[in-house]
Amino acid sequence: MKVKFNNRDPVYVQVIRHFKEQIASGYFEPGQEIPSRRELANQLKINPNTAQRAYKEMEEQGLILTEGNLPSRISKDEQVLEMVREELILEAVDTFVHSIRSINIPIHEALHLAKDKYEEGN
Amino acid sequence: MEWGILMIEIKDVTKKFGKKKVLNGVSFTAEKGKITCLIGINGVGKTTIMKAIMALSPIASGEILIDGKKIHKESYEKITFIPDTITMLPQMQIRDAFVFMADFYDSWNQARASELLRFFKLQETDRISDLSKGNTAKVNLILGLAMDVDYVLMDEPFSGIDIFSREQIADVFTSHLIEDRGVIITTHEINDIEHLIDKVVLLDNGVVLKEFDTEEIREKEGKSVVDVMREVYEA
Repeated sequence: MKVKFNNRDPVYVQVIRHFKEQIASGYFEPGQEIPSRRELANQLKINPNTAQRAYKEMEEQGLILTEGNLPSRISKDEQVLEMVREELILEAVDTFVHSIRSINIPIHEALHLAKDKYEEGN
Repeated sequence: MEWGILMIEIKDVTKKFGKKKVLNGVSFTAEKGKITCLIGINGVGKTTIMKAIMALSPIASGEILIDGKKIHKESYEKITFIPDTITMLPQMQIRDAFVFMADFYDSWNQARASELLRFFKLQETDRISDLSKGNTAKVNLILGLAMDVDYVLMDEPFSGIDIFSREQIADVFTSHLIEDRGVIITTHEINDIEHLIDKVVLLDNGVVLKEFDTEEIREKEGKSVVDVMREVYEA
C-alpha cells in the first residue's frame, strides 16, 4: 500500500479517501480484515495518531467495524458500500464537468472523447 | 501521578547570554503521545529551549513543568535529550556505547536498542569513528530511543545527512518506537516530516510566533505547514 499525500488536506481525510477507493475498486472486499492502526501507520508512513483518527472516523461512518479486540473489518452493509461507490463516481463526474464547462467544450464532444480514451486505457 | 497534565509545559521562559536575550517569554506545551516540532531558522533558540527543558542550562525567569512537576533527579529516567551530535567517544564500538548507557540509566532498554540496531541495519561491533554521518546520526538516535522514557527531545535529527538515512529516521516516527511518547523535535527543514508531526511551534528571535495543530490547520484553513510558515515569517 503506497499513497501520495498532498500537504493541504488533512492526512486522515486522505487516508479515508484511500480506503473508499480500495472499497469501490473491489480491492477491499466486504467483511475483509484490514491492517491494525499500527500496521497502517507503518505502511502509509503516517503518524499512529492519524491512523487512529482515520479509523475512528471510518467506524462512525460505518465503513469499517471493530468488535472487541478483534481486527477491524470492512463493512458488509451493501447500502454503505454502494454509497461509497456513488460518492466517488459523483465526485469524478463533477470534476470532469467542471473542467469541460470552464473551457466551453460541448458535452457530447467531451463524452465522445472520454469514451474513446477510456477504452484505449483498457 | 496526577491526571490530565501529561505534557511538558514551557511557561514564559526567558534566558540571556550576556546582554542578548535568547528566549524572550517563550510559552508552549508538548503533550505526551504527540510529536511537536519546533521550527525556526538557526539561532532562534531551539536548542536553548531543549537544554532549558532538560535543566542543562539555567533560565532567567519563567517555569518549565514535566507532567506538572519541575524537573528533578528522577526526571532523567523519564525524559531524554538527543543532541545534534553524538556524545560518545569515537573509539567506542556501538556495543560499548550501549554498556555506557546501561550503566548510567535504569530506563535503558537493551532489547529495544538491539531492535533499533537491526532496523537501521547496523552492527554492534561497528566503531563510532568509522561510521558515515548518516549512520552516526542513527546511532545517536538509538541511544535516546532505546530508553524507556515518556519524553524524547531530538535536536535536528535530519540535519546534514543523506536522503535514505532521513527516510529511515522518518520511518521510526511511524512505528511503535515513538507511539505513546511525547516527542519534541527541532528542524529547519520540514519537508521530510510534514505528514508525521502533530503540532508545530514557530519560533523567531526568542519568541513563539504561532503554535498550531497540523491536521486542524489543514482541515479548517486548507493550509500546509509550509503555507503557514510563509504567512508567519514573511508577514
